Amino acid sequence: MEYFKSSIKYVVGTTPEPEVKPSGAEMIERLVNRLQSSSLLDDRRDACRALKALSRNHRVEVGALAMEPLLQVLHMDKTDSEIVALALDTLCNITSKEVFDDEDEAKHNIGEEFTEILVKNESSVSRILMFLEEFESKVRWPALKILSNLLNHKLKIVQEIILVSPMGISKLMDILADTREVIRNDALLVLIQLTKGNSNIQKIVAFENAFDRIFILIHHEGGLEGGIVVEDCLILMLNLLRSNYSNQNFFKEGSYIQKLTPMFELLTTCAEEPNGWSPQKMSNVYCLTQIVRALVAPNGPAQSVAACQKIMKSCGLLETLCNILMMVGIPQDTLTELINTVAEIIRGDDINQEFLANVMAPSNPPRPVILVLLMSMINDKQTFSLRCAVLYCFQCFLYKNVTKQMELVQTLLPQGTDRPSLTSGQLLCGGICSSDSLSIWFSAVALSHALIEGTKQKEELVKVHLATNIGTPPVSLMSQCITLLQQNNNIQSKLGILILLCTWTAYSPAAVKAFVSIEFSVSYLIALLSSHEFTEDVQEILLKSMCAFLIGICIHFNDDSVPKYTKSKLRDIVENRIGLEKIQDTIGNITKHEVYSRTLKHPQLSVKTSEEILLDHEFCRLLKNLETVVLKTISSKGDANNHNEDSHNYNLPENPMIAQYKDLIREQDAKITMLIDTVNGLTKEKHDLVFQMDQLRSKVDSLVDENKVLRAAHASFSDKLNQAENNHTSHEKCLKQIQILQEQVKRCEDLENQISKYEDIIKEMKSDNSENAIIEKLDKEIAEKTQSLNKLTQDQNDLLALMMDQDKLIDKYQKKLASLGISCDEDDSCVEHVENHNDSAVTNEKYN
Amino acid sequence: MSYAYLFKYIIIGDTGVGKSCLLLQFTDKRFQPVHDLTIGVEFGARMITIDGKQIKLQIWDTAGQEAFRSITRSYYRGAAGALLVYDITRRETFNHLTTWLEDARQHSNSNMVIMLIGNKSDLDARREVKREEGEAFAREHGLVFMETSAKTAANVEEAFINTAKEIYEKIQEGVFDINNEVYLNKLFVEKIVCILIEYLLNYFIISKANGIKIGPSHSPSSPGGIAGTGGQGSSQGGGCC
Repeated sequence: MEYFKSSIKYVVGTTPEPEVKPSGAEMIERLVNRLQSSSLLDDRRDACRALKALSRNHRVEVGALAMEPLLQVLHMDKTDSEIVALALDTLCNITSKEVFDDEDEAKHNIGEEFTEILVKNESSVSRILMFLEEFESKVRWPALKILSNLLNHKLKIVQEIILVSPMGISKLMDILADTREVIRNDALLVLIQLTKGNSNIQKIVAFENAFDRIFILIHHEGGLEGGIVVEDCLILMLNLLRSNYSNQNFFKEGSYIQKLTPMFELLTTCAEEPNGWSPQKMSNVYCLTQIVRALVAPNGPAQSVAACQKIMKSCGLLETLCNILMMVGIPQDTLTELINTVAEIIRGDDINQEFLANVMAPSNPPRPVILVLLMSMINDKQTFSLRCAVLYCFQCFLYKNVTKQMELVQTLLPQGTDRPSLTSGQLLCGGICSSDSLSIWFSAVALSHALIEGTKQKEELVKVHLATNIGTPPVSLMSQCITLLQQNNNIQSKLGILILLCTWTAYSPAAVKAFVSIEFSVSYLIALLSSHEFTEDVQEILLKSMCAFLIGICIHFNDDSVPKYTKSKLRDIVENRIGLEKIQDTIGNITKHEVYSRTLKHPQLSVKTSEEILLDHEFCRLLKNLETVVLKTISSKGDANNHNEDSHNYNLPENPMIAQYKDLIREQDAKITMLIDTVNGLTKEKHDLVFQMDQLRSKVDSLVDENKVLRAAHASFSDKLNQAENNHTSHEKCLKQIQILQEQVKRCEDLENQISKYEDIIKEMKSDNSENAIIEKLDKEIAEKTQSLNKLTQDQNDLLALMMDQDKLIDKYQKKLASLGISCDEDDSCVEHVENHNDSAVTNEKYN
Repeated sequence: MSYAYLFKYIIIGDTGVGKSCLLLQFTDKRFQPVHDLTIGVEFGARMITIDGKQIKLQIWDTAGQEAFRSITRSYYRGAAGALLVYDITRRETFNHLTTWLEDARQHSNSNMVIMLIGNKSDLDARREVKREEGEAFAREHGLVFMETSAKTAANVEEAFINTAKEIYEKIQEGVFDINNEVYLNKLFVEKIVCILIEYLLNYFIISKANGIKIGPSHSPSSPGGIAGTGGQGSSQGGGCC
């Protein structure tokens, strides 16, 4: 408390006045404010710490104000394990189911309310799941505890959330391997809650190697001798297996059944404890037996149950259980449960039933264990539950096993050799004749189980006689039953005997005959039913109802061999004395009763006290099957007469159901013959068709060959045709060419014609040409003259050039002369000569 | 029955492609034309022999419906093999393969062997997805491919056994570390402690992360002998399933 106060002071900062203490809500509001607004991690941490401290005393306020901010913290500060741990702790307190000191009892569902708020947001749950991965125990542990709280309050919703959150279940399974036992054990508890009634989760858990882990854990914790952890492990395993056939299959296929045997064996080897078994050990054994029973539960799928039963026999589990049964010092409750377990392991399995029959109890002299069990069933000193268990075991022992049923009946019939040893049949008859009402009920019902679905056994049992008192003649077992019915005042024992009688007479005209021939039997039933006392008592109602049912059976399965009580006579009696309506109502009463529906559910007796024991499962099933037909037989008068004659004619003890089946069989026979005929016809047809087909096939083959030949011929022909076609085309071409050529020839002729024409023209032209010849002559002359002219001009040029050279030479000589001092007179004459020469040239030109 | 290895399989794929029928054909050798819708997950098991060693196959048949997808995801982590199934007569089941594959790759161990299966090969007349397309898809994504028929049992055995062979080879190659219990995403310290404890508790026989387990015939007191598992398994003699 001191720490709490100081932390508040420290966190809130301002020291509150000692007189004016701030209210919780105010304080929390401030803390929340700080948590949200503070930027310093330390501050937020402190606020968290304070909230955690307050969360126990001010749960409502903290929850209402701080839940959201705390979830925020989980998101924002997820890296800081300290603040996360504090936040988780606080949330854990808020959602806890325990009631804290200061709270009213009325507010005890606060945790649930806050859980509801928390799970509304799926992400917050998966956020918490995430912290399971954190290794530190201060984080992992509170996270686990919150999950546990959530599952406690809102199982279904949280299961769904965890199922869909990725790896949610795997994370939990991983924690199962945590070395810290506290955490591991809490994980175990969470898993137990999580797997409750959700088969999908159960399967995933199994997939995550749950069975392996559990067996290892159990082994580690000391097996059945271990503590509560072992029990938790077993409960988890039971959760995974109960009504989950996929997991059962996995369990079977994974050879886990074999692992159960050594666990039970531990019980046989351990030393006897002076103070008896510890309660823990008893719980452990109880849980383990429940696991075995879950695998072989009568309402499971027959195939898998049978497979499990076989494995349990072969791996020695059944043997071990039987050995434990014989041990001394086993607590009553455990023994009861072991008997129930053995019962279900042998139920409906011949080999296992035979095995149990051969198990001997270590008594002196050794007796079959079945006998020892029956003795304790008849013994009124034994506890009620144990006696019920033995009945169940015996019932399973006879279930669907005609051999064992017959053997039981045989023990009651006089044998050739003396058999002084006690037999189970004798024990049961002794029980029926005993004074203890429960013993009578148990024995009668046990005997009735030997008669189920066995007409032969019923007929044999009719022959059984009992020697009640020395000196008096032996009476038949049936008349003894009727005597008991009349004389016994205890309704419970009467019900037991009625169950036996109903089972006995049903489907068995011989038994009906025996029943109606006994004096007072029918009159007793009629008298009981015709009394008009109205009663509310359950037992009375059931008694009347069962009596009415017995009469109904006597009418329905009557073969009219007793003249006093033929089918129609009995019906008349009932109609006159009781009334058809009333008897139908009375039979119907039983099925309306809650006891009936409850008993019908499960083969095992589901009663807690001896007073409740009234009906038997197999009887209820019989009633369910027969009710409608019996009611029909009672009411349908006209029909029945016909039916009577029928049965007289064939002298056959028939019941309508058998008749129905016979009709059905006849119909089916007819159908079968018809079908066989059709099949024969069809096979014939088929043969014909096959023959035809073969013929056709050969035809087809020959045709194919022909076809081939033809095709080849066709091919060659088409080749030729092609050639021919080719020839044809070339011929055409030639023709064309010829045509062209002809045309060309024509053209050539034309051209020749033209040429000749032109030649004519040319000839004419030539004759006109004399004048032209003169012009040509003149032209030639002109050409000659111009040529001579050209010659002359060239000569002149040459002469000019020569003259130039002469001039130059003259100049040179003149200069030479001048230099030599000679005058140049002669020079003039020379020049004149040249000029003359030039004149003559000019005149020459003029002339031209 | 003794076995050398234990492999966990899952079968995935769209609803109605015949996953449950494949499993039934493999475990019970029968075909059921009308099958109830799988709710969540169903379990089946069978023993096979590879390389003279007895191998137990534990097979989880998942629901194909979208509603169960989140549940199905929980089964990827522990599986050593997956059969990814589509229906050759329904194109859309083939089109969804990518989604399935993504899902599988995201949630599973990276070494998980995935086999692609085109089921209902007996209905060739109604075929919508060509064999070559399946082959191409498998090649593209590194899967083993096969077309099967749960009805005629064609290739069903082979599909399961070839997957097992693939896993077996991976073990032989040392890709699957079968003796190490791996807890992913955890502190190193814890891993060490875990491994120590495992040895104490004989825990080493389980290999959860890979979906592979060494047979129960293994002596738990000799952790050194994990690798040599063949001896016990083969002593059982082959052929018995």
